[in-house]
Amino acid sequence: MSWRTIDRRTVPLDDLDPGLSAAVKEKIRSFFPRYPTRRAVLLPALHIAQDALGYISLRAMREIAELLEIPPSAVLDVVAFYTHFWTHPRGRKTIVLCRSLTCELMGGGRVREALEQRLGIGEHETTPDGQWSYMTEECLAACEHAPCLLIDEKLHKAVQVEDLDRILVDAENDRLDLPRSTLFDAPQET
Amino acid sequence: MPKIIIDGQTVECRSGIPVLQAALEAGLAVPHYCYHPGLSVVASCRLCLMEMKMRDPKTGQMDWAPKLFPSCQTPVRDGLEVRFCSDPVRDNQQHVMEYYLLNHPLDCPVCDKAGECYLQDYTEASGPATSRMVEDKTKNPKKDIGPHTLLYQDRCVLCSRCVRFCDEITGSGELAVVGRGSRCEIDVLPGQPLQNPLQGNVVDLCPVGALLDKDFLFKQRVWLLRSARSVSPADSRGQTIWIDYNEAGIHRIRPRYNEKVNEWWITDEARFGWKHVHRRDRLRQPRIRQGTALQPARWEELPALLRTWFSQPSPTVPNPIAAILSPMLTCEEAWLLAKFARSLAPQATLVLGHVPTVGQDQTYPKGFTIKAEKCPNRRGVETILQHLGGPTASFQEFLGQAVEGRFRAAYVTGGYPNAWVMDPIATALAKIPFLVVHDLFPSALDAVAAVQIPGSAWAEREGTFMNCDGLLQPFERALPPLEGVKADGQFFSELLGQPGLFRARTVRETMAAELPQFSEVFIPRDLPKHAH
Repeated sequence: MSWRTIDRRTVPLDDLDPGLSAAVKEKIRSFFPRYPTRRAVLLPALHIAQDALGYISLRAMREIAELLEIPPSAVLDVVAFYTHFWTHPRGRKTIVLCRSLTCELMGGGRVREALEQRLGIGEHETTPDGQWSYMTEECLAACEHAPCLLIDEKLHKAVQVEDLDRILVDAENDRLDLPRSTLFDAPQET
Repeated sequence: MPKIIIDGQTVECRSGIPVLQAALEAGLAVPHYCYHPGLSVVASCRLCLMEMKMRDPKTGQMDWAPKLFPSCQTPVRDGLEVRFCSDPVRDNQQHVMEYYLLNHPLDCPVCDKAGECYLQDYTEASGPATSRMVEDKTKNPKKDIGPHTLLYQDRCVLCSRCVRFCDEITGSGELAVVGRGSRCEIDVLPGQPLQNPLQGNVVDLCPVGALLDKDFLFKQRVWLLRSARSVSPADSRGQTIWIDYNEAGIHRIRPRYNEKVNEWWITDEARFGWKHVHRRDRLRQPRIRQGTALQPARWEELPALLRTWFSQPSPTVPNPIAAILSPMLTCEEAWLLAKFARSLAPQATLVLGHVPTVGQDQTYPKGFTIKAEKCPNRRGVETILQHLGGPTASFQEFLGQAVEGRFRAAYVTGGYPNAWVMDPIATALAKIPFLVVHDLFPSALDAVAAVQIPGSAWAEREGTFMNCDGLLQPFERALPPLEGVKADGQFFSELLGQPGLFRARTVRETMAAELPQFSEVFIPRDLPKHAH
């Protein structure tokens, strides 16, 4: 066949790994009692897997499917639906930039260009030093602070091109002001 | 039965079906992609929208509701009034079709689906002739998603029929809709291909040319094919099929709707189980043993020779003649052969031939079953044997008796798509001095047969198969027998000395006089013309 065909039937071993550790699997299992069906644990399971691995590897998808007793493609279906989940390795920190209307009007486009130039990477890519990954998102739900960007889970508000240097060199640029809910990390016994 | 009004016409319909199904059954050409009566309803394609009369809350009068409703998701109820022939409905169809064509490549000349594609049909019927889109179309590479299937993502209209099929009918769920919004694609998880025993059906389900069968890829244009109504010999369930063929032979097999057996689906065994018909090593001429070798013979010599051997009584053995009726024979052929044997030797032993089985019956979530028994007509042959009475034996008993040298002459019919003559069979049959082998392919029996008769494959014959549940289903001939070969039924009727052409129907009528089971055949109803 002369045209380009992607082989989806076989996958090189390198593309599969890493898998989930026993502790991560146990954590996913501990969520089972909270939901009426195993399938419903899929989203928390994906969060747990991405927290552990940095992204959802193919082997992780298979292992989650096995744990939840659903077809592996159902896991891919959800992973691919949410841009939050990455299917390839990320850098140490991930910058998410808003590309929606309000941010664009307030100069988000210039910030994006400046950021891409500074990091030297395009969307969904990682800098050679493994420090940064970058992507855009439809809306960060913070239009009142446009243009805004996220570094991991920390929101940076009203970012202008001049602010980029300061933000990027700040070692604590991803530090959250609020601690994460304990409910997520330590599920309660029912 | 509820009565609904479609475009001013009162239509009586089955209760519990959607309006779309009722409209299709009434013969209306309502465009639709995602709706399939065998799958769950998602109402995502938006092509089948209709106008419906509802009570106006202000005036209290029944009037056309301002918005359109998906007819696939609206169940029929008595007195419901809907219309498809109206400007809002036609506008919607046009706009939806324009949307579907935004990114669809215009590669019909190289697309296998061209000619039976519902994107072509609906565009011709209701879509705009030109696209207003000036931007580049999305181009996606092809995806190899399984051993039999290729996915042309840029032709996909995302009706999700294939995904629902894998979730609901096979329960294996290999396919998924990946991505979101305009970036949606059908895909498998890499390394977990679409690979289940019913997977070929996704190609039939696809209303456009997105999912294609590698087996049929670039082989034929569909308008050059003719279709014969047939019954699959792949297993004992008697799945009804269309054989798509032309003068070059069979090109593909598609399911033929059958409410009692296979509904809209067929197994891959049935779909791809026709390759043996075109095998190069098929037997092509009758041969008679002269000395140590089989020498070509003329068909005309055979009846007299066989009659001589089968009618000679043996002084020592009570019933030295046997006829082995293969479960690959049609009921009519089995009947004729049994009658032939009994007409010459009233005590001839009739034997049901080798019944091939593979594994266990497999049942899928919605009840589709793949039978372990891989032959179409065991039940039919058994019915005939039971009716004729007299000496009968199972195939194993027959082999046991043959090893002891009980038989002087035997007529063995094969017709199996795969090799079936294993060592014990060959050893036992070697003990029979006058062995007639009527089969499709060369086998170990060539060394011991006194007469070798070339058989014809099921696609080259007509007749009926009785499935494992006793359902008698007729099928047509698609191809003529190979050059130099006589159809089995024709030869058997010549053996019996019947003049003229073999017609399965005529033979069946004769049989029905003795055996009432054969008086009625089951012919599944056709699908509505515009349903797919």
